[in-house]
Amino acid sequence: MKQVVVHPERCVGCMQCMVACAVAHSRSGQLYTALAERPRPRPRVHVGAGLYNEGFPNRCRHCDPAPCLLACLAGAIFRDAHTGTVLIDPDKCINCASCAMACPYGVIRFHEDPVAPPGKTVAVKCDNCDQRVAQGLAPACTEACKSGALTYEEMDEAMRRKTAEVARSVSTGAETAAVPPALALLMAVKKAELSL
Amino acid sequence: MQHVILGNGIAGVSAAEAIRRMDPRAGITMISDEQTVPYSRPMISMLLDGSAAPEQLPIRAERFYEDLGVTALLGKRVDAIDLQARRVALAGRAPVPFDRLLIATGADARRVEAQNDGLQNIFTMRRREDVQAMLAALGGTRRALVLGGGLVGFKAAYGLMKRGCRVTMLITSAYPLSMQVDETAGKMILDELLHHGLEVRVGVSVTAFEGRTSVSGAQLSDGGKVACDMVVIGKGVTPALDFVPLDRIDVDLGIRVDKHLETGAEGVYAAGDVAQCTDIARGRPWINAIWPEAAAQGRTAGMNMAGRAVAYRGSLGRNVMRVFDLDVMTLGLVDPPDDGTCTALTWQDPRRRMYRKLVLRENVPVGAVLINAVEQGGVLLSLIRNRAPLAIPPERLLEPSFNVRQLMGWG
Ligand SMILES: Cc1cc2nc3c(=O)[nH]c(=O)nc-3n(C[C@H](O)[C@H](O)[C@H](O)COP(=O)(O)OP(=O)(O)OC[C@H]3O[C@@H](n4cnc5c(N)ncnc54)[C@H](O)[C@@H]3O)c2cc1C
Repeated sequence: MKQVVVHPERCVGCMQCMVACAVAHSRSGQLYTALAERPRPRPRVHVGAGLYNEGFPNRCRHCDPAPCLLACLAGAIFRDAHTGTVLIDPDKCINCASCAMACPYGVIRFHEDPVAPPGKTVAVKCDNCDQRVAQGLAPACTEACKSGALTYEEMDEAMRRKTAEVARSVSTGAETAAVPPALALLMAVKKAELSL
Repeated sequence: MQHVILGNGIAGVSAAEAIRRMDPRAGITMISDEQTVPYSRPMISMLLDGSAAPEQLPIRAERFYEDLGVTALLGKRVDAIDLQARRVALAGRAPVPFDRLLIATGADARRVEAQNDGLQNIFTMRRREDVQAMLAALGGTRRALVLGGGLVGFKAAYGLMKRGCRVTMLITSAYPLSMQVDETAGKMILDELLHHGLEVRVGVSVTAFEGRTSVSGAQLSDGGKVACDMVVIGKGVTPALDFVPLDRIDVDLGIRVDKHLETGAEGVYAAGDVAQCTDIARGRPWINAIWPEAAAQGRTAGMNMAGRAVAYRGSLGRNVMRVFDLDVMTLGLVDPPDDGTCTALTWQDPRRRMYRKLVLRENVPVGAVLINAVEQGGVLLSLIRNRAPLAIPPERLLEPSFNVRQLMGWG
């Protein structure tokens, strides 16, 4: 089964994944109308800055066992038996933040949401775009990511590719860099700026 | 294999599910004096404040016991465990034999020693029926008295204020939740509660209750009096273990267990609020009577009972609560002993009402307090759990922009 794979070293911090995610989870599903919607559509993927200001698309890992699921006081968090996605039932959620206290990645947010009862603040996180995937689409964040930091692929395939990249980067006369040259340059500039 | 589980709280439920996952054919019997589908105990305080309806309390489906293939003996109280004959004695029923036994009976609310404590409308708050009785009495309640500023006392006061009662809280420390938070956070919480009309009296206790059939007031240790038509006792809990043979099973603060959650008696396990484990932050025996630890312990005990040796790494105290407009999260050791072994860093932004504190023991995080912007709390919790020294400057962990990426090296 395909899944979203994160390649942090490729993230340039452009936040396009956040925009795409918010739009995908809006009522209308269209950027221009989504901007006017209430509650305001919000992303489930969060680009944070690392120690050197490098970007990082942080999203739910759908852990198994999932600490948030085990800690939920209301029995609102469950795993979809078919897709393996960890989901939050907005009708059962009591906004107690026990899941935020359990999540080792800090990816859960609390706000009103189009799928929640009107006016109710609930816990919100990545749902793997299960609905888009059911329609044959890729998760919105991976579609929007142009630097290859978020890909949608078979895990085995991603691992093989990664192993090959590492092998190439350590062998002499390597032609293909693990990170595209333009990206490597950008990273180097950022790092140099910080060391000044 | 016959598994018997005492208690249908989250520890018992998590154990039953773990056993079933590992052994589809094992016999599982659950015994509890509460006669319900498993429900969320913490949510009884939401029943009180009106933010949850009774039908929202169950945490499992109506047919939970049938679906899991569990024999449920509900409404039955365990009287004794016979370790020789390996069976559990119940009132008014034949004893139940076991191969493996889990004690997951949780805790009972502590009462207070005061004259006339048998009057009507004096409550403790541990079970759903306690809150149902409080709700039934709410119509005639104008003024409520809450004894104790711990988690349950605080939740009772909060709920009754939301229901429009005038609430007076008697506490021994200078601020509520003194077992959970540090002084700075405690004072912020106190201010928030006072701002919303709570009355707080510090350093006094009740010596006697007054009233004919129903409570109408309380006499205080300083000679004063408080008029009230409801009293809620929030003086903590004691592990429910009066049926445990103390000569064979070691009890200290709670039932002592090893890293597999097994007691000194072979094949007998304990988990949840009744069990005493090692506290990760303190490094010594402790009971962290909280939901996520009860769930984790129950699950681990279940796996061990089903024959898979799984170690439990110890428990960690933590809490998160929303106090009107204040979100408060506390993790591990927040008020370290004054013996020079720990250091504390703090960060504050009064304008945004944010406060953060990190407690370190030789560069290993052992505790934290967050007020507002609590979303990254889980990252800190996992650092505390892992007991690994920090590889980045600890100040970074206090900044509002802190995120998990900063824990990794340069990409
Ligand atoms: C008002 C309130 C708010 C809370 N809020 C929070 C919170 O926000 N976060 C958090 O983490 N924790 C909270 N807690 C604590 C949390 O509810 C407990 O830690 C958790 O329920 C413990 O689960 P357990 O399975 O160990 O025990 P319990 O839930 O106490 O279950 C034990 C069961 O065993 C039964 N039993 C006991 N003795 C016998 C006997 N002799 N025979 C038969 N049956 C018996 C009991 O009736 C009970 O049904 C709160 C508790 C209360 C009361």
